[in-house]
Amino acid sequence: MSHAHAAPAFRMGIPIPNGKLGMWLFLGTEIMFFTAFIGTYIVMRMGSPGWPTDIHVTHINIIAGGVNTFVLILSSYFVVVAHDAVLQKNPSKARTFMTASVLLGILFLGIKSFEYYGKFDYDILPGHVAESDRQSMEKLLTIVQTRMDGHLSAAAPQSAKREREDLLAELDTKITDLQAAGDDKKAGGELQKAQAIRKLYNEYINLRDHIRAEVSFAIPFAELDKLRTETDVSKIPTLALGPFPGHHHGEEYAPPADTLLGHVQKSILTDPELGPLMSGFKVERIRPILYGNLFASNYFLMTGFHAIHVIIGLILFLLAIKSPLSLDNAVFVENAGLYWHFVDLVWIFLFPLIYIV
Amino acid sequence: MSDHDENHSHAGTYFAVFIALCVFTGLSILADALSFSDRNITRVLVLAVASAKALCVMMYFMHLKFESAWKYLLLVPTGILAFALPFALFPDVGAHYYTPDVPQVREYALQQAAAGTGEHDHGDDHGKPAAEHH
Repeated sequence: MSHAHAAPAFRMGIPIPNGKLGMWLFLGTEIMFFTAFIGTYIVMRMGSPGWPTDIHVTHINIIAGGVNTFVLILSSYFVVVAHDAVLQKNPSKARTFMTASVLLGILFLGIKSFEYYGKFDYDILPGHVAESDRQSMEKLLTIVQTRMDGHLSAAAPQSAKREREDLLAELDTKITDLQAAGDDKKAGGELQKAQAIRKLYNEYINLRDHIRAEVSFAIPFAELDKLRTETDVSKIPTLALGPFPGHHHGEEYAPPADTLLGHVQKSILTDPELGPLMSGFKVERIRPILYGNLFASNYFLMTGFHAIHVIIGLILFLLAIKSPLSLDNAVFVENAGLYWHFVDLVWIFLFPLIYIV
Repeated sequence: MSDHDENHSHAGTYFAVFIALCVFTGLSILADALSFSDRNITRVLVLAVASAKALCVMMYFMHLKFESAWKYLLLVPTGILAFALPFALFPDVGAHYYTPDVPQVREYALQQAAAGTGEHDHGDDHGKPAAEHH
């Protein structure tokens, strides 16, 4: 049987290149992947009355999100222009626009990193956020304790056992020795530092006992013991957390001194001796945010996976730029573009859902 | 892009879509800035705008408007499966008929009680802890 070639050969399957079919199949799985994240986020929010929406609490920057949306849309536009240029046999124009897309993708990641920095700066991380006043107090105590232990451990290197009592004993001996030596100019700095650490330890005990007893800082530490015999509970002022500073208004921030935050601000953070020992800490880091951990988990899961997709898209673009960008590369450019548009598509939904709703 | 339209440029259409997308983004931000008394109006508006944007990107940038029927073969099943998980989770997690006994729910009830007896609540300040209602 002879084969006639006059008629075009019948082609099986879907009338698109295999590579493009592969990309669309992959994008099909990607749709399910991101809908799972976005869908569970919506469902969790609906089931959680009191979800944090105040952008000054969650440190969501709507301007940064809006700019990033524009950046991705512009890059998507540049990609279709580049693909169009490939089809018009204009590789140099295609290369210019693809390079511009890569730069915009990098800009997107830069703005995203800036936003992530804010989250780390205010400790809005999964598992780190206090969700009630009580948890805020416990978190503060843990932070002060960790700092104090670190300074104590560094200041008392000799103790073999490394228990807090041993370290403290060594520190006290050191202070006594330095005081006895009397050479202020030579040992002055070291003595001052050792005394500051001792003061931080005392402050930690003061904080701990007030928080444990839930008694206001209006009651001096020395009188805490006396309260144990007090039978009339109404006579014991209870501990309040105190108001947090407004967004970026730390300078004029001064909560009432009998609250926990007021006490911490006055006796530790602005104290000339103890302040440096707590450097980098700000009271906003212990701000209670109801559902803050769930919020942070969802935020980082969605935006993190999206950012990974942006990085992969950029790698695809770099591969395309390295190619001759002739008609032979049109399918690859189109596939890279399809992937990038999908990344843009996900962001189009993430922007209103995270930043506005 | 399908074979039939490789010869002429789509640059004009692409630019029009790009402008439309920018306008839509502006609308989203405007909807937020207007801060309607009912937050649900903003929610519906911005999600409608997002859907319109998504449609623009899929139809023109991803060329689905110009593709033949294979797109349905691929996108309809994945679309159905994609919504299966949210729909499966919704009855229990999103709209439980009972009050779940978790610390957050109790904390929120305390906050609401404090806001009710104390000072005026701004309605959309749910995210703020009780200590901030000063």
